[in-house]
Amino acid sequence: MQNPYIPYPVVVDKIITEVDTKDIKTFRFKFVNPEDEAKYAYIPGQFGELSIYGKGESPIGIASSPTQKGYVEFTVQKAGVVTSALHEMEEGTLMGLRGPLGNSWPLEFLEGKNIVIVGGGFAFTTLRSLINYMIFGDNRKRFGNITVIYGARNPGLLLYKDELIEWQKRSDLNINVTVDKGDATWTGREGFVPAVCKDVAPSKENAVAVICGPPVMIRFTLPVFFDLGFSKENIITSLEMRMKCGIGKCGRCNVGSKYVCKDGPVFSLAELDKLTPEY
Amino acid sequence: MEKRLIKKDALAGIAKKMAEEFLVWAPVKKEDNVLFEPLQKDGEPFFAYLNSKNAPKNVFFPHTEALMKFTRTEKGMVFSSDENKADSSVLFGVRPCDAHSFALLDKLFDQEKYQDAYYITKRQNTTVISIACVKPPYASCFCTSVDGAPVASEGADILLTDIGSDYLVELVTPKGEKLAKYFGDAKADAAADTNKNEIAAKAIEAIKSKIPAHEVKPILDKNFDNPFWNTIHGKCLACGTCTYMCPTCHCFDISDEVKGGDGVRIRSWDSCMFPMFTKETSGHNPRVSQKERWRQRTMHKFKYYVDNFNAIACVGCGRCVMSCPVNIDIRKIVEDISKL
Ligand SMILES: Cc1cc2nc3c(=O)[nH]c(=O)nc-3n(C[C@H](O)[C@H](O)[C@H](O)COP(=O)(O)OP(=O)(O)OC[C@H]3O[C@@H](n4cnc5c(N)ncnc54)[C@H](O)[C@@H]3O)c2cc1C
Ligand code: SF4
Ligand code: SF4
Ligand code: FES
Repeated sequence: MQNPYIPYPVVVDKIITEVDTKDIKTFRFKFVNPEDEAKYAYIPGQFGELSIYGKGESPIGIASSPTQKGYVEFTVQKAGVVTSALHEMEEGTLMGLRGPLGNSWPLEFLEGKNIVIVGGGFAFTTLRSLINYMIFGDNRKRFGNITVIYGARNPGLLLYKDELIEWQKRSDLNINVTVDKGDATWTGREGFVPAVCKDVAPSKENAVAVICGPPVMIRFTLPVFFDLGFSKENIITSLEMRMKCGIGKCGRCNVGSKYVCKDGPVFSLAELDKLTPEY
Repeated sequence: MEKRLIKKDALAGIAKKMAEEFLVWAPVKKEDNVLFEPLQKDGEPFFAYLNSKNAPKNVFFPHTEALMKFTRTEKGMVFSSDENKADSSVLFGVRPCDAHSFALLDKLFDQEKYQDAYYITKRQNTTVISIACVKPPYASCFCTSVDGAPVASEGADILLTDIGSDYLVELVTPKGEKLAKYFGDAKADAAADTNKNEIAAKAIEAIKSKIPAHEVKPILDKNFDNPFWNTIHGKCLACGTCTYMCPTCHCFDISDEVKGGDGVRIRSWDSCMFPMFTKETSGHNPRVSQKERWRQRTMHKFKYYVDNFNAIACVGCGRCVMSCPVNIDIRKIVEDISKL
């Protein structure tokens, strides 16, 4: 019997400060025992428990794509005890990682469809994983048009800036990056995510929208997609609840009969309609 | 199934004999309470009890337990040992409702996908001996409403039933059979069986407290937003006693403790009755008041567990009813829901 509470030993291999405010960083981990990497086979949309002995654990979405070999990445905002301790770490530090946990973005369901990805703020992390997965090599052929709408409050708060530039160069991607308010150097779009969605107006034909972001963004974005004719089955999102065990035991993260850690975090709006509105 | 007869006054001796070989958890008197505790060398088990004050779940799911240890190195704190271990032991004399709770906890902790190593190791290494309730201990007992019975073996490896001059010993599982040698060699005859069945039927009759536990499931399915939920929690102190006393409540917290260069990751009981239970770092709390917390407790036992495991997560022990400082009564809540 494997003990699901024992983390894999990992080393902090690289730390990338993502934003001007310096409170969001991407941490790249390598497995101390190379054979653990295969055991950590994950799918975009899953999360891990970052485990800092002496401080505790935090559930964080996996930001890298399984197509990126040799490491696994998480993008973390400094918030409380564990995430602050993480932000103080240096490259070379040893810690623990549990997972992969939860369900994932429904890759089989997405295959052969046009994909609309809508992200806001730092909730963009597992969407980044999905994008990098879909555009990797031959994977790209398995999906139709890919439209990305991603917004941040200002240019300094955009994550993965180098990747955004690379993606914009590709002809098989429709990338729309927006900021609430630009600065002197910003030449891109300005405007809130819901307004940009309205403007881009992706077709509902054979399409699925994958939406992840702060609650206000979601609240104003959903009506846009309903107006465009998207059904609740074809709108997918990811939930957040306070977690501890991550494996459906500690009883903390349930929404109705479902545990967000084990049965989620990914749900379609149609599935959420069947649950209690308590999240 | 292997069945034996033992003299009634032999029980304490058997428990003490077992305690020479392994850890025996038995009911012992502590001030005014009876609790399951490891039987000490000169300790005396107390079998004339009604039920133990606390649920015996702590044998498999201790109120606090070390999960793993870690230690400081130049490169940070690293894992040092897995604390998952359990001595071979016997849990001697639990009531059938509490044994039933183990079968319910198994469904959660021993699922196909994620196996809770700490619970399972203790469960595997422990033989559960139940003593049937030939007379229901309390007026608040309602096991018969929640798929239990006062003379029943679910969750137990051995069931002892007082059939007059003797105990009928039923070695229900292979694990139970392994302890056969402690129960002498007087084989039970058909008369003992008949006797037991009559006693069991009478004991069921004697349970007078009844709740419509199955009837409320379809009502709960549709009434998450019913104003009824405003009527339960008014006097609740959010003390968590009901959840700590409950044999089926299993919510826990995980936290780290460090002393000098070493540390330990601990899990401890938690409670859905506490405001902090679901509070996120951002300050957002999906269950904002005691109303939502009581709704969660009720729903979890009578709907969510049924949805997930096809079983009600209450064994009718009545502990929460007896120990709530402000007399909130789950039986009345279920009764009221059945009339919505
Ligand atoms: C599925 C999922 C994916 C997430 N992905 C990311 C991500 O990619 N990047 C990111 O920065 N944050 C993410 N979060 C939020 C992140 O988990 C919390 O910000 C973090 O746990 C706070 O921990 P802390 O120790 O710093 O704060 P403290 O306030 O000290 O928290 C104590 C403990 O409570 C629990 N906890 C508190 N808040 C939350 C919460 N919102 N969600 C879950 N557990 C919580 C954790 O176990 C935490 O260690 C995600 C949460 C979930 C549920
Ligand atoms: S809910 Fe109350 S009566 Fe039911 S098992 Fe728990 S403590 Fe016993
Ligand atoms: S024991 Fe009573 S007062 Fe305490 S949390 Fe439970 S219902 Fe509330
Ligand atoms: S985090 Fe423990 S049940 Fe989901």
